[in-house]
Amino acid sequence: MGKPKIGIYGLTGCAGDQLNILNCEDELLKLFDIFEVKSFVMASRSKDESVPLDVAFVEGSVSTEKDLEELKKIRQKSKILVAIGHCAVFGGVQSMYLGCEPWIERYKKVYGREDAVTISPPLDPKPLSAYVKVDAVLPGCPIEKEPFLKMAGLLAQGVIPKNPDYPVCAECKWKENECLLLKGEICLGPITSAGCGAICPSLNIGCIGCWGPIEDENFASGIALLESKGYTLDEIVKRFSIFGGTERGEKLAKYIAKVKEGHNG
Amino acid sequence: MRVFKMKKGNIVPFLRSLEEFGEVWGPVKKGDNYVYAHEDPEKFDLSALRTLIPAKKFFLPQKSTILKFKNGNWYTHSDCKKRVIFGLHPCDIHALNIYDEFYTRVYEDPYYKSNKEATLIIGLSCLPDEHCFCNLTDTSTVEKGFDLFFTELEDKFLVWVGSPRGDDILAKRSDMVEDITKEDIKDYIEWRKRRENMFKVDLSFTGLPEIVSASYDSDIWDKMGSACLSCGTCTMVCPTCTCFDVEDEYDIRADEMNRNRKWYSCMFREYSLVAGGHNFREARAERLRLWYTHKLVGFMSEYGDPACVGCGRCVVSCPVGINVLSIVRALTGEKNDAFWAKTEVKQI
Ligand code: SF4
Ligand code: SF4
Ligand code: SF4
Ligand code: SF4
Repeated sequence: MGKPKIGIYGLTGCAGDQLNILNCEDELLKLFDIFEVKSFVMASRSKDESVPLDVAFVEGSVSTEKDLEELKKIRQKSKILVAIGHCAVFGGVQSMYLGCEPWIERYKKVYGREDAVTISPPLDPKPLSAYVKVDAVLPGCPIEKEPFLKMAGLLAQGVIPKNPDYPVCAECKWKENECLLLKGEICLGPITSAGCGAICPSLNIGCIGCWGPIEDENFASGIALLESKGYTLDEIVKRFSIFGGTERGEKLAKYIAKVKEGHNG
Repeated sequence: MRVFKMKKGNIVPFLRSLEEFGEVWGPVKKGDNYVYAHEDPEKFDLSALRTLIPAKKFFLPQKSTILKFKNGNWYTHSDCKKRVIFGLHPCDIHALNIYDEFYTRVYEDPYYKSNKEATLIIGLSCLPDEHCFCNLTDTSTVEKGFDLFFTELEDKFLVWVGSPRGDDILAKRSDMVEDITKEDIKDYIEWRKRRENMFKVDLSFTGLPEIVSASYDSDIWDKMGSACLSCGTCTMVCPTCTCFDVEDEYDIRADEMNRNRKWYSCMFREYSLVAGGHNFREARAERLRLWYTHKLVGFMSEYGDPACVGCGRCVVSCPVGINVLSIVRALTGEKNDAFWAKTEVKQI
């Protein structure tokens, strides 16, 4: 078996994830040694898009028709498609819930007018999984070097890595941190997917959820708990939305509708 | 049990002298809490009650590599270190005795066993705060599971010898200890009475296994499930929780596969997910009921004691107030002002 052929691509995002791959300076040669890199525009202009890939890493959300076309092409020629970074996995901050529907209202709020993006017709920003099958994910905003290297290591062995289905709190407790939530601060640890190693609470800063929502999140209880600590629903929803992606956005909309219903009824 | 006394001023030199056995670890302050750390014994805080994470971390570390795979072969791997752990209270030692039952009685876990054998355990007495309830779980005093145990009286320590290793240590440091007198025993009895009167949790645990069993269909589990964040904190901080997960990690730098085990929790959805996608404890309420039935009923019928040592860690750690005490209150109709009990969570 030859070396696995890979490609690293970017859709709409800040390119921070690709940059963090490049930042694996000491391990970069090793990566190029275990993989045959066919396309990585950020690192090299020479690329070969004609061959099928074993693994494609894709950063960014699908935010334009052009993104969507490119994603479909990548999907078609790749055995394994890995979404890297918050935008690709959850939709990114560009997909955050702002309480305005339809999405074009959000677009106008940000750009001031409806025809601001001219390279390609805009779409409601969504994660890759909204359009194609995604085989593995590596969240983070941006992704971290160590989890990326671990993932690359497993992929090179033919193993499809799994994202943790447990929250940042687990890693936070492994590190023997004092709990910020217990001290009355907003910390999104319980509803955020583990993987970063609880970086922020280890520095005494509440988690803002950049690893994205954990599938099993009990965000309704999170809201009730923070309300009991004196935060307003508005403040909490803002914090929950930043890295909440499209799915939590839908849940938040439902929750708020339910609260309003309660007030009326 | 043999018992000696030690002058207060001798404790730091005594602990320092134990570095010859291995790293000396003890409780040090972290923010408003405590952690076991490998520091100069001068820094150990003898007033520390519960550490954020219990001493189980020395025997089943948060994360450890147990096997390595390189060049086509498996190798066992262990990071076992010689250590002296100072400052364990009776509840902590009872919890380690439960670990012993669990990890050596039926299937002997070689990693656990070597970690345990490499460790000297030095207990320390304590005065309970409002969250301690080891008096209710029968774990407020301890007879076995330590090498030495220090009881801190006003002007001296009484040092109880709990093992041949403990005996050797004192024999080699006979200049640091003295024989006890009748007066010392009187002081000890006085101290013990004072301590017994300090427990504040006003609940009864009598018949608890039966009460919990009979409450299998109670709606309190759903109520708790609605509030539980599934953060796993309760299981990480509980000194008697033993569960772990195993995962493989490829280290591209060393070109080797590591098989790691790391603490895991029955509060996580994936814990009870089995092949084929079936999850036999999908609902949070079911996970909570499992935890408490395991602690207070299942362990009892298997090992004869409950798997709760009354340390109070769950009491001070759960963000929504789910813990042994608030559950016992709910099940026995006592007043209960835990967040989970008084809040209506709007599930969508
Ligand atoms: S500080 Fe945050 S991440 Fe850590 S245990 Fe508390 S809520 Fe969880
Ligand atoms: S602690 Fe939270 S905000 Fe900080 S890096 Fe981790 S997931 Fe992101
Ligand atoms: S019971 Fe409390 S500490 Fe345990 S998982 Fe639920 S919220 Fe977290
Ligand atoms: S159940 Fe709670 S009080 Fe009992 S041993 Fe575990 S953490 Fe301590």
